[in-house]
Amino acid sequence: MDLRDGQTQPILDPNQPTHVYHLALDIGGSLAKLVYFTKDDNHLVDGEEGISHRKTLQKSNGHKQYPVLNGRLNFKKFETSKINDCLEFIKSMKLHIGGSQPQENPGSQPIAVKATGGGAYKYADLFKERLGIILDKEDEMDCLVAGANFLLEVVHQEAFTYMGDQKQFVQIDKNDLYPYLLVNIGSGVGMIKVEGEGKFERVSGTSIGGGTFLGLGKLLTKCKSFDELLELSYRGNNREVDMLVGDIYGGMDYSKIGLSSSAIASSFGKAISDNREREDYKPEDIARSLLRMISNNIGQISHLNALRFGLKRIFFGGFFIRKHPFTMDTLSVAVNFWSKGEAKAMFLRHEGFLGAVGSFMSSDKHGLKELLANEVVQRSPSKLSFAVDKTLRSLPDGEFNGDESIECSVYAA
Amino acid sequence: MAGSVEKEQQQNQVVGIIEEEKLQKQESKSSIKITRTQVESGEGEREMTPTAANSMHRSGSRPQLDVSKAEIQGNEEEKYPTILLPNQSDDLSHLALDIGGSLIKLVYFSRHENQSVDDKRKSVKERLGFSNGNRRSYPILGGRLHFVKFETRKINECLDFIHSKQLHCGGLESRYSDGVTDQNGIIKATGGGAYKYADLFKERLGVSLDKEDEMDCLVAGANFLLKAIRHEAFTHMEGQKEFVQIEPNDLFPYLLVNIGSGVSMIKVDGDGTFERISGTNVGGGTYWGLGRLLTKCKSFDELLELSQKGDNRSMDMLVGDIYGGLDYSKIGLSASTIASSFGKTISEKKELEEYRPEDISLSLLRMISYNIGQIAYLNALRFRLKRIFFGGFFIRGHAYTMDTISFAVHFWSNGEAQAMFLRHEGFLGALGAFMSYEKHGLDDLMVHQLVERFPMGAPYTGGKIHGPPLGNLNEKAKFSMQISWMEKFLRKGTEITAPVPMSPLGGTTGLGGFEVPLSKGSTLRSDASALSVGVLHLVPTLEVFPLLADPKLYEPNTIDLSDNNELEYWLTILSEHLSDLVDKAVASEGGTDDAKRRGDAFARAFSAHLARLMEEPSAYGKLGLANLLEMREECLREFHFVDAYRSIKQRENEASLAVLPDLLVELDSMDEESRLLTLIEGVLAANIFDWGSRACVDLYHKGTIIEIYRMSCNKMRRPWRVDDFDDFKERMLGAKNNKNTRHKRALLFVDNSGADIVLGMLPLARELLRRGTEVVLVANSLPALNDVTAMELPDIIAEAAKHCDILRHAAEVGGLLVDAMINTSNSSKENSSSVPLMVVENGCGSPCIDLRQVSSELAAAAKDADLLILEGMGRALHTNLDARFKCDALKLAMVKNQRLAEKLVKGNIYDCICKYEPVS
Repeated sequence: MDLRDGQTQPILDPNQPTHVYHLALDIGGSLAKLVYFTKDDNHLVDGEEGISHRKTLQKSNGHKQYPVLNGRLNFKKFETSKINDCLEFIKSMKLHIGGSQPQENPGSQPIAVKATGGGAYKYADLFKERLGIILDKEDEMDCLVAGANFLLEVVHQEAFTYMGDQKQFVQIDKNDLYPYLLVNIGSGVGMIKVEGEGKFERVSGTSIGGGTFLGLGKLLTKCKSFDELLELSYRGNNREVDMLVGDIYGGMDYSKIGLSSSAIASSFGKAISDNREREDYKPEDIARSLLRMISNNIGQISHLNALRFGLKRIFFGGFFIRKHPFTMDTLSVAVNFWSKGEAKAMFLRHEGFLGAVGSFMSSDKHGLKELLANEVVQRSPSKLSFAVDKTLRSLPDGEFNGDESIECSVYAA
Repeated sequence: MAGSVEKEQQQNQVVGIIEEEKLQKQESKSSIKITRTQVESGEGEREMTPTAANSMHRSGSRPQLDVSKAEIQGNEEEKYPTILLPNQSDDLSHLALDIGGSLIKLVYFSRHENQSVDDKRKSVKERLGFSNGNRRSYPILGGRLHFVKFETRKINECLDFIHSKQLHCGGLESRYSDGVTDQNGIIKATGGGAYKYADLFKERLGVSLDKEDEMDCLVAGANFLLKAIRHEAFTHMEGQKEFVQIEPNDLFPYLLVNIGSGVSMIKVDGDGTFERISGTNVGGGTYWGLGRLLTKCKSFDELLELSQKGDNRSMDMLVGDIYGGLDYSKIGLSASTIASSFGKTISEKKELEEYRPEDISLSLLRMISYNIGQIAYLNALRFRLKRIFFGGFFIRGHAYTMDTISFAVHFWSNGEAQAMFLRHEGFLGALGAFMSYEKHGLDDLMVHQLVERFPMGAPYTGGKIHGPPLGNLNEKAKFSMQISWMEKFLRKGTEITAPVPMSPLGGTTGLGGFEVPLSKGSTLRSDASALSVGVLHLVPTLEVFPLLADPKLYEPNTIDLSDNNELEYWLTILSEHLSDLVDKAVASEGGTDDAKRRGDAFARAFSAHLARLMEEPSAYGKLGLANLLEMREECLREFHFVDAYRSIKQRENEASLAVLPDLLVELDSMDEESRLLTLIEGVLAANIFDWGSRACVDLYHKGTIIEIYRMSCNKMRRPWRVDDFDDFKERMLGAKNNKNTRHKRALLFVDNSGADIVLGMLPLARELLRRGTEVVLVANSLPALNDVTAMELPDIIAEAAKHCDILRHAAEVGGLLVDAMINTSNSSKENSSSVPLMVVENGCGSPCIDLRQVSSELAAAAKDADLLILEGMGRALHTNLDARFKCDALKLAMVKNQRLAEKLVKGNIYDCICKYEPVS
């Protein structure tokens, strides 16, 4: 795979129609996530030629004659409340056409697109009506797990820890990946024990998630968006709003049970004061307190569930995190605190797209297959594999914001 | 204008106070002030027995009985604000505090002045082995534990309260009158505020707060409550409260979740053995804090109350919202499951003001309760703890909160773990701090030594206190200080808010989310009044009746009031009977204006109790008919009606005593067998005189006592509805060739005054005495309806003995005729071979009897008893009909209630029950 320096931006220039061959959706309560594959402009490389650049892949395959598509996986998100933008985008990019040109399939059935998340049900009619697309519903948990497994196994430097402003990528040995706890923080939070490909169980969850943060945040501050709220929280001080151990103990620690005076005894517990109304509190402080409350709670419940099943690794995903340092730090601290350092919180670069990636992976990928079949080997491959070259330099440091892409190659296995 | 109105009010106030003072004066003469005291023995004559001051009757000529019952006192602490602890005046072990982030919880102990009194039944006690120094010494003083709370931000109210009640001082002698104090008292305190406010307490009250560890206190408090208080714990699922009795041996380990401002989770393995294993910062403070920011609520309770009208679906993103109304069935999430708390608000363009505060409050409440339940369950799972007890002031008996927590625990544990709640939820820490005093002795208290009462004056005596501190009293201030709780109660007029339940609301509460079926939350109330926690009376003299076959299985109540129809019926009965009772009560106090006022207040208070119970049957804990009937008596006493039926009882006693000689002559003319039958018939017939029965009250207007008695006797046709007479007769008289040994001692639990005792039970007692069986008459310690009391009995017996040698001799031997001075010590010796007739008090003031809590003298008397006779509806039907004993038992009663007759014996009103259960 050829990832050229600096070529990490998505190639989504509307003026320069891209060949889009495959699309999958994850429509959640707050956000709709898209993953789609675009072929590199230089099209197909000859199988052998393409692979010749990637010895590692060749080795692992042990074959030389596999056709390879070079291209990229693109990631795009929309607010679910603005589902029309999403529809427009798909329409403008002609994503739905996929690899099957309508004229090439005269009289064929409407195009099916893999989709997961509650919106796959809720907006099925809308997609049909507006785009003529049938949403082929994939189970949400299946997709989350498949997406996480794919990213953890295939994408280099996908996972990292974050504590005290220190970000550290974790090299996961594919053979030592399972079992782990996957915590997907969307509007709500799902906690899934993953034991292998397709082997998982939803063990817990909590309704206090990203939706709670934004929902309460919107009510308490004048913020209009998640990012604005996060931005605010960065500047806030939760001491103004939270009741700390020190507030109760007159500035002292409650050392007997290991609570420092700065530990939060009660989130928002200081807001019970008679003398101050909502307007008297800084929105920054409120946002900060809210974020800590929710992150800490998720971290704690995650730890308790990891403990239950003896899971050492907890991967946090979902759009709540957004690489926000404070959020990640709070989650890490909570896991570290409650597990007494035994469990580790880890984060995923593509945190928000687990479901969409999984949904993408779950499909038969007809478009891609046809592409490969038509243009390369003249026969339809039975299975496709994706690869991201691990010898590449790391992607720009943690600044993956969603609307980006990663280069990858597709080959028939 | 305004000024003059005010003046008038003040004037009224002063009049009221003066009246109140009069009342108090009367009270000090007439009310019962009894407390058992442990006096160090070894001083020769001093007895190791409960001493009592009892002057229920104003005429001093009556025999005085020992009615050592701390629990029977009315609300008098207002009048005697200082608590005396003569033996521990340097300990000050009567107040403990738990100062949390939001609330201050206060537990204090009160005890009345000990007045020694000559015990005129010394000989009875000696015979019962009661005063020979072989009684175990009581580890603690009798008294009462009060539970009070304040908001921490209003800590001055708390300081004023302590000051005005002089709780920080050791006793009267240390009460200062000139505003100067030199106390160096120590008060046990826990919670963060014990550190934060230490200086304030020092400065304002001159006391040091002795800081006790918070967790230690929580655990000590919880362990005490769970072991010592019957039915302290309960489950709450889908609006249904169910009390749980936990065996002390089976209590540990458990998870204690204390929800205050924050939440602590403690694994408790035993007394003093525990570990804080978890907690969460999302707790009561979060609910109230966020609630304050999001709504205009001024108090926690207001916020909680709002939630009852809420519908969280307008705030929360449900699974159905994401899945277009569908369930996410694969992982067991229904469409109504909350996917994201407050998640719905993110996609709406609405401002905060456009949301209903009710919905916000409910959504918050669910979010926090559910989260706590979930984290608690996960921790219980970790340590394999089956029981999770939730305490702390967040809960406040709020049905919805409890349902949500229970649901979370149930849901996540697949029903394997159980959430339980504590009635004294908020006071664990304060109680634990109280326990940390060295000499509190509470550890040694047993379940049967605690009696919980729900005085209507509690909100007035407990919460707020008005008036200046005692330190600088002047005459005017004195007036306002001495406004009694009753005065406040009367002034409240019709707005007795405490017991009034919330109005029933629409059905949206509880719909949606977490799959909880519609909760009854709307009918339940937040506990603004603190009435759900009563005053805990510590009565070390109470014991479990030793003849109960199996005290653990014993349930006093025959009728299950958890059946709503049953409850409604009995509440209606009590309600209908109320006006008649008030008339009697007012008349018993001479019909004065004051009595009328109090009668009116009593009626309002008791009606309020009834209304509350109708709404929330378990508001006062597990409810049985016995509790209900006792509550009425307690309520009367609270309003200073010591004996509403006094004159009726006297009249009927006199009328019956007048015909007793004729009856005895008639009986003596019969042979043994027909005499026994006639006696039992007589008991059943005489049991018709019952002022507790509506039907009977109506009868009384149709004839004289004797006419009714004769008529009733004539109707006595065997077989009775339950008729074991032949078995009883065989045991008494023996089969033809097999003369049974006579019973050694019989305990006769007597019922009503008048014909019932005089013409029914006394002749039966006489027969037993004649057969050589010792007889102990067991009567109420305190008046209840027209029931005869232990202190009235000696007079009645003395009168009856004038016409009967058997009774006279037995009474002399039993020491009952001391007052009459009929006998010299010589004649006593002569009769020493006769069997005695004795009287003991049963330890209660209710028409029913709970045999788990009886007086120690009854317990002592029971030791040698081999026959029990329980007589009357209250003691043999409403309670104890199904009780099993370690000796022969005969239960006699006439059923004077159609419904009860149908229910218990499928019979009719006036059917009779003669149930004999020989010891197996």
